[in-house]
Amino acid sequence: MNYFSTVISLLRDRNEFLEEIHNGVKLKSKISALMISSFCFFAVYGAIIGTFHSPLQAASSAIKLPALYLITLLVCLPTLYIFNVLFGAKQTITQHFTYLLTAVSVIALLLCGFAPVTLFFLITVNDYSFFLLLNVIIFTLTGILGVSFLYQIMRPVADGENGQGVKVRTSILRFWLCLYGFVGSQLGWTLRPFFGSPGQFELFRPREGSFFSGVWNALINLLS
Amino acid sequence: MKAELADLMISEQEIERLSGCDVGSIFIGGVFGGVYRTSVFQDPQRLMGFCLTEVAVFLLSCVFTLPLGLVTIRNTSSNIGPNAGMVPFLVVVIGSALLLVGAWNGYMAIRRSHFQRLMHLLDEIDRYHDVIQAIAVLDQLDSASGLPANQPSSLHNRAEVLEALRLTRDSLIASLMTERILRESRGLLARRQELLASIETNLTTVRALEMKHQANEYGQFLNDALEIGMRVQREMQQML
Repeated sequence: MNYFSTVISLLRDRNEFLEEIHNGVKLKSKISALMISSFCFFAVYGAIIGTFHSPLQAASSAIKLPALYLITLLVCLPTLYIFNVLFGAKQTITQHFTYLLTAVSVIALLLCGFAPVTLFFLITVNDYSFFLLLNVIIFTLTGILGVSFLYQIMRPVADGENGQGVKVRTSILRFWLCLYGFVGSQLGWTLRPFFGSPGQFELFRPREGSFFSGVWNALINLLS
Repeated sequence: MKAELADLMISEQEIERLSGCDVGSIFIGGVFGGVYRTSVFQDPQRLMGFCLTEVAVFLLSCVFTLPLGLVTIRNTSSNIGPNAGMVPFLVVVIGSALLLVGAWNGYMAIRRSHFQRLMHLLDEIDRYHDVIQAIAVLDQLDSASGLPANQPSSLHNRAEVLEALRLTRDSLIASLMTERILRESRGLLARRQELLASIETNLTTVRALEMKHQANEYGQFLNDALEIGMRVQREMQQML
């Protein structure tokens, strides 16, 4: 089981890791390892936030949180690939997928880094709104860091091609990152609850409103 | 490990370069799209790794079948309660995940025949590395017992043992190359006889060394090298 060593090699020598993806070296192994390790990291953090409510919620969140990130990635991947290829990118869909999985694995690792902090507040604070907002901040922070990492690694480089194609692809990447955030937040809203509000366990909540209206309501609840 | 022994090892990168596959201790070609190695069932630690991978793949499948469950729950749940659709949800998600894991295992079972020879060669390489490790341990024991530099070590015919291992290494590398050529081209190429001849020559030399040192305590290493060489030759003959 050397799946986690792939993530460690990503952390230790990022440039070499990215160079390997660029050259298409061992992509299958990288995809397998990144997928399994990011799933494990997300599942651990999901289980921690679900523990706020009940063990049943912990099990539910341990599946839902990896689903949120990995399904968002799969939903948005074709858009990025097709648009990039249309404007001159030479990388394959497997390379695109590996780059995106790398960024998602970084987000998963960052979340795991916050796990002790979340666990601390889980034990010491018993306020649903506070816990929800704390996690919105953590998810936003890790999301921004992950997305900026993705922007850095996927930013097109002019390898002897005309500058126009590179410019267009950079714009596509920016647009795609917004799309990724938008799809991710709405999927998160669809899959909720991740924390489980006080009361009976719910597998899913009824479809209502959107992610942004939910955050606004939580802020108002905290301040009132 | 001494440099001469380290040079005899066949690195993971070299195996991957020669075979053209991502080679791990459990899978060849990665978890998704690759196949598991037969030898995982002979080693409890690797078997445990394989079982954990199966569990991880099942859970990962649950993640990707979650939307199916969500669609089911949206279509079936009424006003009975918030968790009314839980049972159909779990049936759909777990059932689909089991189907996916079954399909994955079926795919690996079909693909395994394609990699059968490579698996045998990789097992032989593992055995070859075990022999090198055993010599490295002997070297460490020698240095721990503080033998003077001019006194012969416990491995006094070391040069011949290393020569046998070098020949075995060459045979293994030739076999990996041949296996790849046959796997990828599915045909016979002009170099096959040359490679086979090289393996047979190496094997004859190892056998001669083994006969010479049959009586002494280092015959075991030569025996191991010879046995690996013979297995490689058998594999090659079957391949060709």
